[in-house]
Amino acid sequence: MMRPPGWQRITTVLRNPREALTLSRGNIELWANLLIILCALVFMVLKGATFAVTLGTVFGIWAMLSISLNLVVGYTGLLSVGHIGFFGLGAYTVAILTSTTAYENLRTGEIPTFGWPFFAALPVAVLVAGLVALLVGIAFNRFRDDIYVLVSFGFAIISFNVFLNFRALTRGAFGIHDVARPQIGNWVFDTELELMLVSLVLLAIVVGISWFIVSSSFGRVLKAIREDEQVAEVFGYRATHYKLAVWVISAMMTGLAGGMFSSWTTFIDPNSFILLESILLVSIVILGGLATIWGSLLGALAFVLLEEGMRFLPFLPQEYVGQARQVVLGVLLVVLMMFRPQGLVGRFKL
Amino acid sequence: MSESPGQRDNYILETLDISKHFGGVSAVDGLSISIPRRGVTSIVGPNGSGKSTLINLLSGTLPLDEGIVVIDGKRLRTIHAYETPDHSITRTFQEVRLFDQISVLDNILVVLTTRKFWAAVFERTNRQYRARAQEILEQVGMWEKRDALAMDLSYGQRKLLEIGRAMALNVNIYLLDEPFAGLFPQMLERVKVLLKGMREQGRTIIFVSHNMEIVREMADHLIVLDGGKLLLAGEVEDVLNQPEVISAYLGT
Amino acid sequence: MLNYFSRKERLIAFLLVAIVLIYIGWRSISSPEQAMQFGFNGLSVGAVYALMAIGFTLVYSTVWFFDLYYGAAAALGAYGVFYLRSQEWLGGQYQVNTPVVNIILALVVAGVAAWVLHAILYSRLRERVDPTTLRIVGGLLAIALGAYTGLVLTFPSHLHVTFGPVAALIVGVAAIWGLRLLFERLNGGRGHLAFQAIAVLIGAALAIYIGIFLVNSPGSKLYLSWAVSCLIAGTVGLALYRGLYVRMRQRSRSPLIMLVASLGILLALTACISIVFQSAPRPLPDPFGSVPWTIGGANIKGFNFFAIGVAIVGFLALLSVLKWTSFGRAVRAIGDDEEVARVVGINTTVIIAIVFFVGAAFAAMAGILSGHDTAIQPRMGLLLMLKGWIASVVGGIGNLYGAILGGFMLGLIEQFAIWDLAGEWKDVVAFGLLILFLSFWPRGLLPRK
Repeated sequence: MMRPPGWQRITTVLRNPREALTLSRGNIELWANLLIILCALVFMVLKGATFAVTLGTVFGIWAMLSISLNLVVGYTGLLSVGHIGFFGLGAYTVAILTSTTAYENLRTGEIPTFGWPFFAALPVAVLVAGLVALLVGIAFNRFRDDIYVLVSFGFAIISFNVFLNFRALTRGAFGIHDVARPQIGNWVFDTELELMLVSLVLLAIVVGISWFIVSSSFGRVLKAIREDEQVAEVFGYRATHYKLAVWVISAMMTGLAGGMFSSWTTFIDPNSFILLESILLVSIVILGGLATIWGSLLGALAFVLLEEGMRFLPFLPQEYVGQARQVVLGVLLVVLMMFRPQGLVGRFKL
Repeated sequence: MSESPGQRDNYILETLDISKHFGGVSAVDGLSISIPRRGVTSIVGPNGSGKSTLINLLSGTLPLDEGIVVIDGKRLRTIHAYETPDHSITRTFQEVRLFDQISVLDNILVVLTTRKFWAAVFERTNRQYRARAQEILEQVGMWEKRDALAMDLSYGQRKLLEIGRAMALNVNIYLLDEPFAGLFPQMLERVKVLLKGMREQGRTIIFVSHNMEIVREMADHLIVLDGGKLLLAGEVEDVLNQPEVISAYLGT
Repeated sequence: MLNYFSRKERLIAFLLVAIVLIYIGWRSISSPEQAMQFGFNGLSVGAVYALMAIGFTLVYSTVWFFDLYYGAAAALGAYGVFYLRSQEWLGGQYQVNTPVVNIILALVVAGVAAWVLHAILYSRLRERVDPTTLRIVGGLLAIALGAYTGLVLTFPSHLHVTFGPVAALIVGVAAIWGLRLLFERLNGGRGHLAFQAIAVLIGAALAIYIGIFLVNSPGSKLYLSWAVSCLIAGTVGLALYRGLYVRMRQRSRSPLIMLVASLGILLALTACISIVFQSAPRPLPDPFGSVPWTIGGANIKGFNFFAIGVAIVGFLALLSVLKWTSFGRAVRAIGDDEEVARVVGINTTVIIAIVFFVGAAFAAMAGILSGHDTAIQPRMGLLLMLKGWIASVVGGIGNLYGAILGGFMLGLIEQFAIWDLAGEWKDVVAFGLLILFLSFWPRGLLPRK
């Protein structure tokens, strides 16, 4: 069941190498798998272990994000561009609860600090994201297709503006410093290696939950709702409830990723949660493949490699790396929509 | 159509003065019909006479504007689509509506699995479901194609699969919208066999059709609609022998 | 009951609207000068949204998808003006003229010109002229147009000389066309040859006069740069349609495919603009001077009047074209049913291409106006595009009247909302209201029938 898509072709290709040249469906998936994983390996060998460790942490965060978004976009067919809002909610909750830096606002006066440990703040972050998602989801359940995209854009903009302007809590553009690192007892996860460990453990939890949902009867109903909501209702499933549930679960996992992100960078400001990041996230999910968990892992890996890879292009000035990545992703999105609307290893065409 | 209360029990499905308006047009206009328990009832009528709208109203796909539907003694003013299995009703669509991008097997399984919300998360596909799905797919002759995507099937196969999907839901009333339209003779026979099998199990089948040959062969009862109103209802032979029906609506 | 809207919910919606209106009315009566100021600001912001919404609606009512490229088109338009004018205008502060950009844009123009010539002329002249000659002539014309574009872009300080005559020619042709149309409307027929000759004469005289005027007045460079920017943004839009959307439409019926693809285009183009111009905000000075007029206690910039005027004129022009010309009839026919339109002999590909061109040009104009009003930055288009999208949805999906109504309404609501809230919350208000509004009126105020 968890065998990655395209893997079964390996035996065929090994038996008859010529097979590999024919561009059948399975082969594109195979090549995508091989290429991205090979790139990752080459990178690690070239840049050394420290680099690989940092990469691992970032990959964990993006993979959590893209898997949880894939539950909504790929499995349920709701093209949400607003998930960055839940990411930000998670990140800000953890930051506000754990930060110990005092901050004085001219208008609102001293803001209290809480100084919670990370692992106490993380569940709260998840709950906050879930609660907000519940309210947002009830409002969003009426929309579909392109209007859904518009209102989810709206959610991203609203949440960004709240992060930026609700200074009494978020400290606005100054951001929040000194977010706590994960800690169990006296063991502080302070080095890159330990952070990667936490990130990957959280990723494993997200993958586990997603896989559990997706492979159950619940997951099948989600796919049915994606295909035809009305027919699913005729067979006795209340589509709105299922959509709401998966939306909340996905938001909670996104909040988890946000908490991890905030602890990893130890400093957050609203600029990490702009709309553009949300669009990038959607493009990662589509790039990797809709309605496969493996695809989302692959997409996140490809994205992280792309970002790091561009940093080492000799002809590209450092300040343009972000933009160049954006160009590549945009073009990839167009190409995929044209020739492979399900993404590299996807199981659902938009 | 006036019956004594005793006769009511013979009817599994009744509508009392139901109406549906689209803008200024009445697709169904004060319609009162009674469908007998068990057996096959066919709804016929010219295009735009409200046949499909009636099916949509009975299955909750469209909300009722006025009137009451009585299903097995329960009087309902509104029917929600998600409640129809509880009312022991299911349906097929005129233009086939399968879950296109999931496999044939999953199309059947999705009908079988639990409706309990949270239990569904913990439920895996067990042997019992799989056996039932296999049974259904073998009946419609598509077990070999179980791993194909529903969208990759031919039109006839899709039509069959849709009927199979409805059959998988174990209910008493089947509303079939044009189950015979556009099928090759071989497939047509298959659908007929399926319907006859369901009828023998004591289910009530209501189908819409344009093909009078099939109606004559398959149906026990006939309801003729025109302009959203009831024109005639009764046993097939009785209705078909009415001269006005033959001349005006059914051709020869 | 999440799916259905009961009467009670409708009642609540009406009550909410009434409360808001009464509150605004009360505030307006208690301080009319402020109300005037906010109202005027709202209208001038709304004009920009309305232009954007008109672009969205035009394309949506033809091919039924929202072309998110407009975000990039707005930025392209604004940066086009910056590109052409900044060097002399801002005292040589920015050295932006790069040959790479000029060559790329010239190539795009040449490609589109080649396709347009092929699509329009080839089918008509095929019988009379040898196809090889036709192709060569068409190709040469396209190359010439591309080279001309490169020329215009390379010497922005001589814009009035390089582009003035062309602008005059365009005005002249439009005048001839308009006169003939008017005659057709009034008399019902094509008219006598004499009328046509008079129309041509008037048009030619107008063109010559405007041409001489433009070439001799360097001050016209600003307006010419607007025209060039709109044309370029429109051409890019057309190129995207022809190069990408046509193929996607052949492959899939899903509107989300094209939506996502246009999102990709938006992403890529925005980043391209950032690379060329850097992502920091840039000034685009107020062309009419920044000294405000005082009317009824409100301080009003002349440029804002101009913006409102542009929106209304643009709307009326588009409306009359859609209503009265054969092109408009074709657009509406395609919107109703593309297959049928093709069967009755409408060249759907060309008509839709023109629609994409016009829509993107409107979006570019919105970007230019907004840029002059505040400042420009590569990401400006994203928010502008979303606001235009909201306006077109709120006004009524696929209805041109709805677009302009929605645009002005959104602008007014935003401004009145920040009367009591801080200005930084206006985006929150816009999107919050959108979600609330669509919950009650999912098809907008004036939905297309």
